[in-house]
Amino acid sequence: MSSPVLELVSVTAGYGDNPIVRDFSARLQAGTITTLIGGNGAGKSTLLRAIYGTNKFFSGQIVFKDEPVERLPPWERLKRGIGFVPQGRCNFPAMSVGENLKMGCYTLASSRHDVAIERVVSLFPLLRERWRTEAGNLSGGQQQILEMAMVLLLQPSLLLLDEPSLGLSPKMQGDVFATVQRIAATGVTVLVVEQNVRGALLISDRALVMEQGRKFMEGPAAEVRTDPRIRQAYLGGNIQTAA
Amino acid sequence: MTIDATYLLQLTLNGIALGLLYALIAVGLSLIFGVMEIINFAHGEILMLGAFAMTFALPVLGLLYWPALAAAILATMLAGLLIYEVLLARLRTDEFERSILITLGLSIILIHTAQYFFTATPRMVDTQYGFDGVEIGTIRLTWTRLIGAAAALVAFAGLYLTLRFTQFGRAMRAIAQNREAALMVGIRPRVVARNAMILAAGLCGLAGSAIAPIQLVTPYMGQFLIFKAFALVTIGGLGNIPGAVVAAVALGLIESWVGGFFASAWQEGAVFLVMIVVLLLRPEGLFKRGGMRVG
Repeated sequence: MSSPVLELVSVTAGYGDNPIVRDFSARLQAGTITTLIGGNGAGKSTLLRAIYGTNKFFSGQIVFKDEPVERLPPWERLKRGIGFVPQGRCNFPAMSVGENLKMGCYTLASSRHDVAIERVVSLFPLLRERWRTEAGNLSGGQQQILEMAMVLLLQPSLLLLDEPSLGLSPKMQGDVFATVQRIAATGVTVLVVEQNVRGALLISDRALVMEQGRKFMEGPAAEVRTDPRIRQAYLGGNIQTAA
Repeated sequence: MTIDATYLLQLTLNGIALGLLYALIAVGLSLIFGVMEIINFAHGEILMLGAFAMTFALPVLGLLYWPALAAAILATMLAGLLIYEVLLARLRTDEFERSILITLGLSIILIHTAQYFFTATPRMVDTQYGFDGVEIGTIRLTWTRLIGAAAALVAFAGLYLTLRFTQFGRAMRAIAQNREAALMVGIRPRVVARNAMILAAGLCGLAGSAIAPIQLVTPYMGQFLIFKAFALVTIGGLGNIPGAVVAAVALGLIESWVGGFFASAWQEGAVFLVMIVVLLLRPEGLFKRGGMRVG
């Protein structure tokens, strides 16, 4: 097997003095979509934040493209190719779509802005149509697409998505999942935390299941989807626990 | 009471000039609040440093008005950098109370340090323009007021263009609007906060150095102005920069009119009375809040 894009080795991370994710290990291969499943408070978002570097890292190792990155600040990880779209509305609401995209180019040399913006706008033509609209006035789904576009401007190798379909209509959820598939088809590795477990597993290659900050199960998405414990806990059965 | 039109126009122009200088202070406060989520209680003392820099640069260094103005602005920008690096850089955004104590403490230290070195005796700053000015009919405006107002207008135009069209400025608006999104696009909050502090101190330094030839310079001069500036920032809609400018010019006008038609003792009282009434009627301010809006 080729070397993974991302390797997590016994990662323990959290906030303040409280580790939430404990001793978590996993490997993500290039161009794959992996869904991170777990109940509320299982540590899914904390793990994504640890990979991007916006919370407290306690111990372990995060190896991205053969380089340990766990001690680097977020902007350095971004430059190396890790993109992160956090949960909730994560754009600049009082700036236009165009200005938001220009902010997405913040770490790029100014000579590369136009090319980068043209590339993502051709991927998401909606953004060209709404160029002058304030981001705060876009619909939830449009804002989600804008946020993904802002991160894709830098052509990341790894995209971390935290609840991209949260609060969206079923149709918009479908659009967002289709967008994630299109992104992965360009060779980007995607790690997604998603409340719509069924939808996310359908587009994923692999799945990681978390329980109380630890890895509970791992495998191909098709296998995890049919696991009775997962079916019961996340796909229509009792949502208390998968244990 | 009969109102003479020329006199009213004279008061109005003086009020606008004064309001623009208030706006420089308020805009700086707004920038710092937007980017760092702290209220800088020592902001008035940066203005006082700018004014004292003029009292030093003009007679002691023998500089003319314009080089002295530039030197005073640079001195306050340097002060802003030092204050940020030494005191504010380690503050987290959730440490609001700590930020109040630190900046309030700094304010007191700066006032008393200035009093120790320069004494509490008010100083006059005399420039090569003296009391010269332009006369349009029977209206007269001194050069120092005109230059102060013009410099403030140029500063606002520069600030607007910076915040609107440069990544340097957009990063400040970005952090004010969504801190997490700012991290998502790779903005370094500390670098942007430092830039905002230097910029805000420079604007305040411009106000202090422009006020120095118009008003008496004392170690306490920043105290009166800063409370007005706090109210302006709130009335203008917290974080709304054009809102703060409009509120500041309105305040300057009220102050000038009241001073012109009534005893000057009513000046300060009237200004704060208007502020209290506005804040009671519209606690959120007159304009849209948040996001460091520039338009």
